[in-house]
Amino acid sequence: MAKTYDIVIDGKTCSAEHGEYLWDVAKRNGIEIPALCRSEAFPEHRASCRVCIVEVVARGRSKVVTSCVYPIEGECEVHTNSPRILQNRKVLIALLAARAPESDLMAAMASHMGASEGYERLEPLDAGKCILCGLCVQACESMGTGAISTVNRGVDKEINTPYGAASDDCIGCLSCANVCPTDSIPFMEDSMTRTIWNQTFELSRCKECGRVLGTQQMSDVELCDACRRKAIANELAETYRFV
Amino acid sequence: MVSDEEVIQIVQSYPAERRYALAAMQDMQHAFNYIPEKGLHCLAKHLKCGVAQLYSMATFYKALSLKPKGKHIIKICNGTACHIRGSVNLATGLKRELGIDPGETTEDGMFSVEMVNCLGSCALAPVMLVDGTYHNKLKLEDVPGIVERYRLADAEEGEAGND
Amino acid sequence: MTRTERILVCCGTGCIANGAYEVARALEEQIAAQGANAQVDLKVCRTGCSGECEQGPLVRLMPRDTMYYKVKPADAPVIIASLEGDPVTKLLYRDEQGVRHEHQADNPFYGLQHKVVLKDVGIIDPLSLKEYKAAGGYEGLARALTMTPDEIIDEVEKSGLRGKGGAGFPAGRKWRSAASYDVWPKYIVCNGDEGDPGAFMDGSTMEGSPHAVIEGMIIGALAIGAETGVLYIRDEYALAREHIQRAIDDAYAAGILGEHIMGSDHKLDLSIVRGGAFVCGESTALMNSIEGKVGEPRPKYIRSVQSGLFEKPTVLNNVETLASIPTILAHGGEEYAKLGTEKSKGTKVFAMVGKVKHTGLVEVPMGTTLRTLIYDIGGGIIKDRPFKAIQTGGPSGGCIPESLLDLPVGFDTLVEYGAMMGSGGMIVMDDCSCMVEVARYYIDFLCEESCGKCTPCREGLRQMRYILNEICEGRGKEGDVELLEEIGHMMQVASLCALGRTAPNPVLTTIKFFREEYEEHIGEHRCPAGVCAALTRFAINPQACKSCGMCAKACPTEAISGERKQPYSIEPAACIACGSCREVCNFNAVLTEGR
Repeated sequence: MAKTYDIVIDGKTCSAEHGEYLWDVAKRNGIEIPALCRSEAFPEHRASCRVCIVEVVARGRSKVVTSCVYPIEGECEVHTNSPRILQNRKVLIALLAARAPESDLMAAMASHMGASEGYERLEPLDAGKCILCGLCVQACESMGTGAISTVNRGVDKEINTPYGAASDDCIGCLSCANVCPTDSIPFMEDSMTRTIWNQTFELSRCKECGRVLGTQQMSDVELCDACRRKAIANELAETYRFV
Repeated sequence: MVSDEEVIQIVQSYPAERRYALAAMQDMQHAFNYIPEKGLHCLAKHLKCGVAQLYSMATFYKALSLKPKGKHIIKICNGTACHIRGSVNLATGLKRELGIDPGETTEDGMFSVEMVNCLGSCALAPVMLVDGTYHNKLKLEDVPGIVERYRLADAEEGEAGND
Repeated sequence: MTRTERILVCCGTGCIANGAYEVARALEEQIAAQGANAQVDLKVCRTGCSGECEQGPLVRLMPRDTMYYKVKPADAPVIIASLEGDPVTKLLYRDEQGVRHEHQADNPFYGLQHKVVLKDVGIIDPLSLKEYKAAGGYEGLARALTMTPDEIIDEVEKSGLRGKGGAGFPAGRKWRSAASYDVWPKYIVCNGDEGDPGAFMDGSTMEGSPHAVIEGMIIGALAIGAETGVLYIRDEYALAREHIQRAIDDAYAAGILGEHIMGSDHKLDLSIVRGGAFVCGESTALMNSIEGKVGEPRPKYIRSVQSGLFEKPTVLNNVETLASIPTILAHGGEEYAKLGTEKSKGTKVFAMVGKVKHTGLVEVPMGTTLRTLIYDIGGGIIKDRPFKAIQTGGPSGGCIPESLLDLPVGFDTLVEYGAMMGSGGMIVMDDCSCMVEVARYYIDFLCEESCGKCTPCREGLRQMRYILNEICEGRGKEGDVELLEEIGHMMQVASLCALGRTAPNPVLTTIKFFREEYEEHIGEHRCPAGVCAALTRFAINPQACKSCGMCAKACPTEAISGERKQPYSIEPAACIACGSCREVCNFNAVLTEGR
């Protein structure tokens, strides 16, 4: 059994296992710490948005840590909404809102954090919703496709396919678009095709009900889940009838 | 034009392990002055990784370039010492002389100008490196002469070739 | 003594750029032509950086210790002709009073230094294992081989050696911690990704004393139990890489590296990885880069000594730290600890550049004051203009004003003022440097060099760059300074890696010490230093002008005119405010005015 500690988060005593991430402990205890680059789908977190910063006091010393990757290794006191944290989180959100001027989520967060006013001086990008959290790249890599990546570095960083062109590795699965917190990855679909990342894919449909299964590159399955279950049930029923 | 053989030779000189990706790309850069698209594809196949991962690296490391560079590469050092001794003026002078900003290549493919980080010759600031040759303690007025020297050398070379 | 057995030609990057190879060749030709090696075993040695790069190429005759400055190939005949006689006066060091001095130590640039890391640099042939050994090299390793890992670490702890890459983490503690993990393999990595603009200490050390770096690594490997080591060297440092590779090859051939280190049962393999980016100086980004990934820092709260390269225990030391190790092992940690201050032991190498008279590489005991460095060793400010600030620690450091010049330099002293000693870059600035523009320069640098992964560093820098550009171009607004501070403070606590956390330092320290300069830009639309072109107009002070015409010659737009014996004047409409006239004026007659 892993060692456990009692830690105090915003005045509430919570039990944490050794090495458990602070964010997870808080969540389990009903304390929601805002985060943008974190998804339950992945075991490792990129810790790139930094919105989940909190203040940890241990042995009389206070420090600011990133809760999504901060492992609990002893007793401590945590403040997720101290004045210091709120101030810095507000600046972070103001910066992200300027980066993604078309994102409704960022505008809403800015308004909630009091960052809608007082930061007019910041230079917004011309357009866009991307906050460069990197979840899309993580999703693409975890699918084993690796068709998109971060491109360039520093302030010019962006997400794209190699050469900004259609990638042989992309299967049009939409994992990237689905995981995006700000809906910033555009795709188009009509009855026959899906277009994403500069590439148009033929859609395959369920042989029975006609529901969209995905792109032809994704799999060679011919039935949707519901129809497949139905088919199996029918098969079983057939079998029992003859017994 | 870079031949397939040249690319394959560089790629296969490294074991098929991810940690040699940067070295192989650096070699291509040195050999061809840029990394051709087929170079990335060939390396991705060799290392069994996605082209996107290599593209990400190629755009991350500034020493690597995905576009062919000019015949003469002019690097203006913009280390702090050079900066406070006027490296930006050298860029202005080159712009006047060649019509290009740092990061660009002249239309005739003869010159590329780059603003680079400290070249380690701070005591001789400002420094400009042309094809590996240092030009030290430069003043704005020195710039036209230096460019002219390389143009003349090319012209002579061209004439010699016509004989 | 006027005997010459060896002619040392400094072949550091700076001297090569100044034509050192040509000088060496001319000297060799003259030795042959004049038959000079008839009596003695005379040889021309190409050494690493001697330090005073600006005065190069440097040539030193040994053992008579005659030091020649700014040598040209044409000087070779007279140098060779006078090897045993009176020195060539015109090539000697000339002090402020105009008196010439023959020996290296007569020049305060050298006389006030104390060399440990650089002790062999500029004296031995960096490519000769034999010369390195003759100078006491590999004695530290020989002693280490008779000790247990614990004893080696004890010795390093006794020395008080701290990481010289900037952070100042105690080297002994780092080694002990890596040694404590029972996980194999372990790695030792040398960080030679020196990327601070204005710093070239590590490059020169690798060029000039490659075996010292390698010896330090071998000793470190013995201490922690590593059998593989990697030197991560910036791709731009071609000469350093060449010398290190040669030293590695020679060490293998001599049985110092490989299966049996100096005949023992210990083994170590070393190889070079060519580095790629400023951010790769950050330890976890460096390890990602070695593993063949994008050089982004890792987000984990776990130390490299436990899980570093390939997730194995890894010690990462900087070049200068490793090059200090052989001396500590050979002469004992206590001996080393006698140098420096209580909390910062030993020496530190600085690359002192900018508007200082003698620029180059210097090594001094920790605790030396900035004033001694700038005025005694550096000889003061060029053209005796007023000192304004010294920038230390590169883009992670800060600008220190005159009032703090008597601070003893150490790991902790500068931090209290928002600056840091950093890896050792020192850029001296005079009144012609605009502090707002300097801040903008560093932020520009960081905008490109940041990896761009985390929000504070990427977006914070982008907005800082925007605001600083606005201020420099005359569109500054009230509240800009406060907004810069707000963003900066957030970056300090919320960034992913040390690079991001220190990235706002150039802005925050210039605001702290030179706030009025920001305010002048914003409120009065005036750049007092005359750097920001949109806020500057130059004029010539008729009382000070000596009508030499230098300014008119230097002006790229022919905006300056004048006649003999009449003060010159600047045509404002044609002036682009580049400052070339002020740069060349020897009488400080070019003044700046607000636009």
